[in-house]
Parts: sequence; structure tokens; C-alpha cells
Amino acid sequence: MADYKAVLIEKGPGGWGGPLTILPTDEKPLIYCVTGGGIHPIAARIAELTGGEAFDGFKSSAPFEKIAVAVIDCGGTARIGVYPMKKVKTVDIHATSPAGPLAMFITEELMVSGVKADNIKPVE
Amino acid sequence: MTSIYKSTVTEIGEMVPAFVAEGMLVFFGEGAPDELRDFCIMHEVIHKQDLMMVGDFVAIHDQEFEILAIGEVANENLMNLGHLNLKANGNTEADLPGDVCIAEVALPEITVGIEFGIRRG
Repeated sequence: MADYKAVLIEKGPGGWGGPLTILPTDEKPLIYCVTGGGIHPIAARIAELTGGEAFDGFKSSAPFEKIAVAVIDCGGTARIGVYPMKKVKTVDIHATSPAGPLAMFITEELMVSGVKADNIKPVE
Repeated sequence: MTSIYKSTVTEIGEMVPAFVAEGMLVFFGEGAPDELRDFCIMHEVIHKQDLMMVGDFVAIHDQEFEILAIGEVANENLMNLGHLNLKANGNTEADLPGDVCIAEVALPEITVGIEFGIRRG
């Protein structure tokens, strides 16, 4: 059994949604990074603080139900809605707001955007 | 006309028409996670040699559309992920950082095997 810890993730400057509390579990261990170019520092930071497993979505795939949080660098149209639509909590590195055909699925309980490293805080 | 990005469409997701209805085409390069495939036009890059600029043209099959605006992360998306959010909204400033805007035109029909790219000149 891994020892998981919760983090609180707040929106960054110009961001939207949240705050989200992320607590990985043995069933949902993955900090799922869909940014391309390896594990983004924000995903690495969440993994480090929570004890979750950083996972590169561009290298291999994982079922939605194993994802504790998805980390995206979406400019606002597609990825921003795909994970919230599946009820997966989503952190967008860019400061975007809900838009596009999937906007209806994006809620403040499921998404937070504009996140910088200092918006991620351990929950005491 | 110089080709600065050239690619072939390999797959069209079943939710692509929902985006077309809102004047959007979402492209992703091969290698994108499976969960994105339903929403996207997948393509395989043949060559890429430069970043997009306003005034370049998006080429889809035998049509060309002048680029009016480019969001601040759109070039990074295209270079790293083959990802492009094309919006036929006539905007001369991108609303969202991933947007690439063209005139408010009817988007062409996309089929597997056609060419997609960026041209200059």
C-alpha cells in the first residue's frame, strides 16, 4: 500500500474553476499527463506531493478509472473537455475557460486552469 | 507557395461533426492518447520546417484558408503534438491560446488520405 497524501490545487492567474482536492488511491494512482514532451513539471509536482504515479499519456494509455487527475496544456477546445466528460478531475496549465462543444461537461468541481507550481499545496 | 508543414489525414473521430457544426476542426498527430481519437482528425506528419505566422495558409486537400490569428500556444501545440484547433470564426485575435483562426467559411469535408498542411507565399 502506497502512502498517499492529498493536495489542494487552486486556479492560477487568469485561471478558472477549482479548487480541486486530489488524493490518489490504489485504485486511482495515476497523475495522467497529456502535454506531450514527457512529464510536465506540474504533473511531476502533483505526483511528488501526493505519492501518485506520474504517467505520460502520449507514451501509453490508461483506463479513465485509474486516473486521479489529468494534467493537460490545452489551449481551450478539445482536451479541456475530454477528461471532465469522463468525470476525471483535470488541471489545465493554460489559463483557459470552458469553451467548445464539450463546454457543458466542464465544471468547477472537475477543472482548474492556469495552474502554476505554487498553486499546488499539501493538505494538512 | 512554400509548404512549411505537411501531413496526411489518417483517421476521423466520430465526434468530429459536432466540432464542425461549431466551425471547428481539431487535429492531433499520431501518437495522441486513444481517448482523444473520438474528437479529432488524426494525421501523420510528412514534414515540418517552420512555425505558422498570420498570413500563412491552412491547406486542406485542394483548398487554402488564410490564417487571421494564431493563439500563443498554437505553434507549440502543432510542433509538439501535431495538434491544431482550427476555427472558422473570422477572428483577427485568438479567443483561446490554442486557436488558429480563419475566415468564417464552410469547412471542407475531411476524408482519410487527404493532405493537410500550412503553406506560405
